[in-house]
Amino acid sequence: MGHSLMTKSLVDAAGVRVTLALAAWLMSPHLAAAQGAMARPSPPAAAAAQAGQGQPADHDQPPLGVTEYPSLHLSGFADIDFADQPKAEGPRGFSEGQFVLHVASALSPRANFFGELSFTPRADAGTGSPPATGFNAEVERLIIRFDQSDRFKVSFGRYHTPVNWWNTAFHHGQWLQTTISRPEMIQFGGRFIPVHFVGGLVEGSLPAGGLNVNYQAGIGNGRGNVISRAGDAGDNNARPAWVLNLFAKPDALFGLQVGGSVYLDRVAAASGVEFNERITAAHVVWQREDPEVIAEIAHVHHEQVNATLSGSSLAYYLQAAYRLPGLGRTWKPYYRFEHLDIDAGDPVFAGIPNLDGTTIGVRYDISMYAAIKAEARLRRRGDDRPRANGGFLQIAFTF
Amino acid sequence: MGRAGSSTTHATAHRLLLAVCLVVLGMTAPVTLQGAQGAQGSNDVAVVVHPSIPIDNLSLGELRRLVLGDRGFWPASVRVSLMLRAPVAHERDVILRVVCQMTEAQFRQHWIAKVFRADAAVAPKIVYSSEMSVDMAAQIPGAITFVDASRVGKNSKVLKIDGLLPGDKGYVLR
Repeated sequence: MGHSLMTKSLVDAAGVRVTLALAAWLMSPHLAAAQGAMARPSPPAAAAAQAGQGQPADHDQPPLGVTEYPSLHLSGFADIDFADQPKAEGPRGFSEGQFVLHVASALSPRANFFGELSFTPRADAGTGSPPATGFNAEVERLIIRFDQSDRFKVSFGRYHTPVNWWNTAFHHGQWLQTTISRPEMIQFGGRFIPVHFVGGLVEGSLPAGGLNVNYQAGIGNGRGNVISRAGDAGDNNARPAWVLNLFAKPDALFGLQVGGSVYLDRVAAASGVEFNERITAAHVVWQREDPEVIAEIAHVHHEQVNATLSGSSLAYYLQAAYRLPGLGRTWKPYYRFEHLDIDAGDPVFAGIPNLDGTTIGVRYDISMYAAIKAEARLRRRGDDRPRANGGFLQIAFTF
Repeated sequence: MGRAGSSTTHATAHRLLLAVCLVVLGMTAPVTLQGAQGAQGSNDVAVVVHPSIPIDNLSLGELRRLVLGDRGFWPASVRVSLMLRAPVAHERDVILRVVCQMTEAQFRQHWIAKVFRADAAVAPKIVYSSEMSVDMAAQIPGAITFVDASRVGKNSKVLKIDGLLPGDKGYVLR
């Protein structure tokens, strides 16, 4: 029975070939006429196209598949935004998002360089003397890393602090993240968690029987005099910052990542008084898109040096998204709830409001490398303040 | 002279019409063709590596970490050089579906993010034929690639996946 079925299928297949060959023969005079004076590709050009280089054969180029050092790879991200929200919450109308360039260069089989540059439009462009430029240029990340093995890699530079999952997963690539906005606990320019870290990092991964335990341990300058910034030009005190991040990605539950981190530093409040800072954080992430679930929590404790003043603040968020199946696979609705509970007596966080926020939106992937997102944000920053709701649109892409 | 020209035009039109009909008929047939391939139980995809790689077997989880860039070194600290067939190739379809459990779009986004996060400096290299895959796997230290099992050369080193080789009952890469 199976044999006869297979024979029938093969006969059908042979029939198909004959049919297609006959069709091609019938069409050939017309195709030839349509091609007219079009030049036929020369054998070398065809060979190059076959090799996937899209370039003519060149004896100066290394053989296909062999990496030539340094090998520079440039990519970028950009976004255009529209916002309708209270003026105190941020820009309204259309705005240019960040223009981000990312460079990755293998310097040898074991040494790599990574850099991330951002250009952010300024609201005060053209004012002042000399006039402010139209964009702020910033070196967001600059990392040189030496890879001894999967278990041990050492790097130096400016990082996004590995104390928070979102901060190291999406960086400034708006297209990579499902939503338009980042959670406020890790907002760029925010003060709750140090976004940047200047120093050195050792990292690696251990199979651990399929648990795939990863570690990152670093020492650096910590927060600068303006605590939303890293100490790019040097440490502002004699106490370095320490960070340790551990997470597991078990084989048995592909898509799951569970981890936690500790960050220790000494920071100065605006008054100049110094505080010891301890951040403890944890995350659970299910990275598949059906569904995608991200949950993070962070606790920040400040204790005045040689005094008893202290304060503890807490922030968390839960985000869920689901890429629709079948014909709807270009659509991905999402929801996020976030909460910030700031200790009013903590001088380091003076002026940061509490937050209960809900974000509801949908992402539509126009193409493989571009997406449109629409979201509504419902925000309450303390019981004594009115709700600050808003509607947002974003076109984000990579190039 | 005029009649001859009209007759030629009619003949051309008939041939074109016939060709269109045959092409439409042909387009309905691939389902049958795929059915024949499935009945043969062929199309296993072999994991081919450089002969110097000092292992003979990978678990599916280990293979996934290699393909997704979570593992960048072989046991002897040789850098992994990952080579994948271009989109729509059968080998790539199998690797994305079975190993990565991702669509083409998800796989591309994964690697863009991987390089952007500074986890990897280079994305997988693209190869355009089985012959090219086999040749490069034989020449580049640390190379790993995926080839239709029927096209693997005698001198190629093929890894077992969960203890099974292509053609074995229960082999997952098909």
